[in-house]
Amino acid sequence: MEIDLGPEAAAFRTEIRGWIAAHAPAELAAMTDWNAAAMTGGHSVNAEPEQSPEYAAWEQELLDARLICASWPEQYGGRGLGPVENAILTEEFHRAGVPRIRRGFGEGMVGPSLMAHGTAEQQEHFLRRIITAEDVYCQGFSEPDHGSDLGSVETRGVVDGDEIVITGQKVWTSGFYRANMMFVLCRTDTAAPKHRGLSYVLVPFLDNNIEARPLKQMTGAAQFGQEFFDGARAPMFNVVGGLNNGWKVAMTTLGFERGGSATTQHLRFEREFWDLVDLARKLGRERDPLIRQQLAWAYTHVQIMRFSGLRLLSQLAEGRDPGPEASTSKLFWSEYEKRLGEIAIDLLGAEGLVRPEGEGYQVSHWQDVFLASRAGTIYSGTSEIQRNIIAERALGLPREGGHKPAPKPATR
Amino acid sequence: MELVFSPEQEELRRSVRRFIEARSPLSAVREQMESETGYDASVWRQLADQMGLQSIAIPEEYGGAGSSFVDLAIVLEELGRGLVPSPFFGSVVLAAYALLDAGDDAACRDLLPGIADGSRLATLAFTEDSGSWDLGDITLSAVPERDGWSLTGAKSYVVDGHVADLILVAARTSAGLSLFAVEADASGLTRTELPTLDQTRRLARLVLDGTPARLIGTDGAAETSLARTLDKAAIALAAEQLGGAQAALDMAVDYAKVRQQFDQPIGSFQAIKHKASEMLLRVESARSATYYGMWAVADDGEDVPIVASLVKAYCSEAYFHAAAENIQIHGGIGFTWEHDAHLYFKRAKSAQLFLGDGDFHRENLAERVGI
Ligand SMILES: Cc1cc2nc3c(=O)[nH]c(=O)nc-3n(C[C@H](O)[C@H](O)[C@H](O)COP(=O)(O)OP(=O)(O)OC[C@H]3O[C@@H](n4cnc5c(N)ncnc54)[C@H](O)[C@@H]3O)c2cc1C
Repeated sequence: MEIDLGPEAAAFRTEIRGWIAAHAPAELAAMTDWNAAAMTGGHSVNAEPEQSPEYAAWEQELLDARLICASWPEQYGGRGLGPVENAILTEEFHRAGVPRIRRGFGEGMVGPSLMAHGTAEQQEHFLRRIITAEDVYCQGFSEPDHGSDLGSVETRGVVDGDEIVITGQKVWTSGFYRANMMFVLCRTDTAAPKHRGLSYVLVPFLDNNIEARPLKQMTGAAQFGQEFFDGARAPMFNVVGGLNNGWKVAMTTLGFERGGSATTQHLRFEREFWDLVDLARKLGRERDPLIRQQLAWAYTHVQIMRFSGLRLLSQLAEGRDPGPEASTSKLFWSEYEKRLGEIAIDLLGAEGLVRPEGEGYQVSHWQDVFLASRAGTIYSGTSEIQRNIIAERALGLPREGGHKPAPKPATR
Repeated sequence: MELVFSPEQEELRRSVRRFIEARSPLSAVREQMESETGYDASVWRQLADQMGLQSIAIPEEYGGAGSSFVDLAIVLEELGRGLVPSPFFGSVVLAAYALLDAGDDAACRDLLPGIADGSRLATLAFTEDSGSWDLGDITLSAVPERDGWSLTGAKSYVVDGHVADLILVAARTSAGLSLFAVEADASGLTRTELPTLDQTRRLARLVLDGTPARLIGTDGAAETSLARTLDKAAIALAAEQLGGAQAALDMAVDYAKVRQQFDQPIGSFQAIKHKASEMLLRVESARSATYYGMWAVADDGEDVPIVASLVKAYCSEAYFHAAAENIQIHGGIGFTWEHDAHLYFKRAKSAQLFLGDGDFHRENLAERVGI
């Protein structure tokens, strides 16, 4: 069933569809399954096709049409797409089987922080470089001793003339091996209350007294790293939002791209679901009532992701504020993914015990799904932190140890 | 399909809610639980005369207002939220759609106007003593007579079967499953009210012994038409469940903000917060699923059979979870008869089992998506 998002949305869809047909290199879609997003913490299946001339040509087309960082306002080099248009863009790229090229942390976090808190000069300098991928960022927030409680980070930033000098350690850094820049949350005032002494600094990541080491994950892959800072330097120009104002800057990026993948995020789970059904058939277990219950349970959850996305988008298209469902989506899919991994490995039974031959810790597809699925409930705010946030922001429950009742939220 | 409520629909919701708060608060619900018929006839009349709710989704040619299924589902969500004991579900959902789906124009002309204006209560009797919700398990038999049909056998778990004026009965003929209309005063019909776990929704057992009946629709065609009716009913019941689940969540959250232990509101304890967030997660998921489902019915979407089982399975469990956690968050007071938490808990269980529980619908779902 198609959702009617109004005439403007329909016109935009037609425009994008036509644009893709006219501009996508002929062989691009057939090269690989661009929609097969790698599992969290899993292996990037498209690393090789991303090196092809077709991909490069496509990237240039997207740049020319301002379809990279497309939801950024036009003055910052984006196309100023609203959430509905942004979702349609993703849908249409998905339908055509061409990649929606994204700029990771730069697009989703650094850019929005700069737009909200940066000076005009900073915006001028840094935003363009994110769009073109001259700068690729990794996120330097977590430390060995401070993860959920980010306000307590200890990595030091000391002002030295017109530079800031950083010493300390960051950890669990996703995609560190691709990055040439890191946005770092560091302590620049040790005397101030903990949230008031932090700064948000864009730090050159290479050849800058930073020792980055890969960290092997439980999947056997090494896609995150840890970094030792021994006097890394960045110009004061790279401090976003002013010295000691880093907490506020870090918090603005939460939920920036709302709606962007609302109606497409279920697709990878749907694809995976049908792969699991195929597996059940191959194993001759698809008539087993217990297996059927689990498969139907999984299907239900994937569809609810779709329904929630449609509902969210419909609200946004009407210019209404989305309800509490917007805050539950990460908790929903990450918890689902864990359970799906368990269903898959249980379905394999004894076969799940044995890994494929090969060097290092090779795993089969479903073993990888099972192992990698433990990450989603930890990164970007653990499930426990998500539940705290939902309880306090969506339900208005009081903060821990607080004696004051929270203000009453709008009732539906 | 739009998936957002129009201003008129929002207003409908508000006016139904206001009406229920004024005329059927939980104190009144408790009175009806103890009453003989199980519902308040004056509330029923006002729902019909003042608000026209019984007629809402019935087509105009049959005496209805001709609004969409979405409007009906909004009403059901509010009735479920207020736990209003009412023959609404049996009459306006089960019976009305059984008639409409049977596609029998003459019968619709004769029977729907009375349902639409609330002057006659109707219900659908399809389950039997086996307790199976599967249409394939129906055994009650119908044989042709000189001027009509005669039914013999028993039906059970018939919602509001003790008060209905008109009972639509699913029975087997030599042609297959068929639908019949039986008047409450027909000969050979014995009705026994069953004492129910959930006192806000009454059930009856019916024994038919050569009871005269009118064939509705084509002989042998009810296997398909009733399946369509039950899909709509599943989504309609899910709307009720959604309303009840939200009420249980609201009750729990309100209490968690005011109840103090260890010098702080219990809502500041994480164990309580996390329960409440989980309730919200499931209630919102149930909402996404139900809203999609009601628009799918209104749009006559081909995915209705799939969505119906999906929604019924999910909402059944979401409601029960919310109602159960509401008791836990209330502590001792939540276990008392005086407190309203158990009313929701019992309704949640009865709505979960009625029309098939999560396991039943997940099996249906697996079948329907082709696994
Ligand atoms: C795959 C992956 C990629 C990551 N990528 C990055 C990255 O690119 N950059 C980066 O900076 N970080 C990254 N992280 C780190 C991630 O953000 C942290 O692991 C996460 O915030 C949790 O912090 P922690 O590991 O210190 O656990 P802790 O905060 O020590 O938590 C341990 C346990 O205690 C619970 N807990 C903590 N506080 C509370 C509380 N207030 N209430 C209830 N329970 C609580 C947690 O939920 C958890 O169960 C990544 C992590 C993973 C797994």
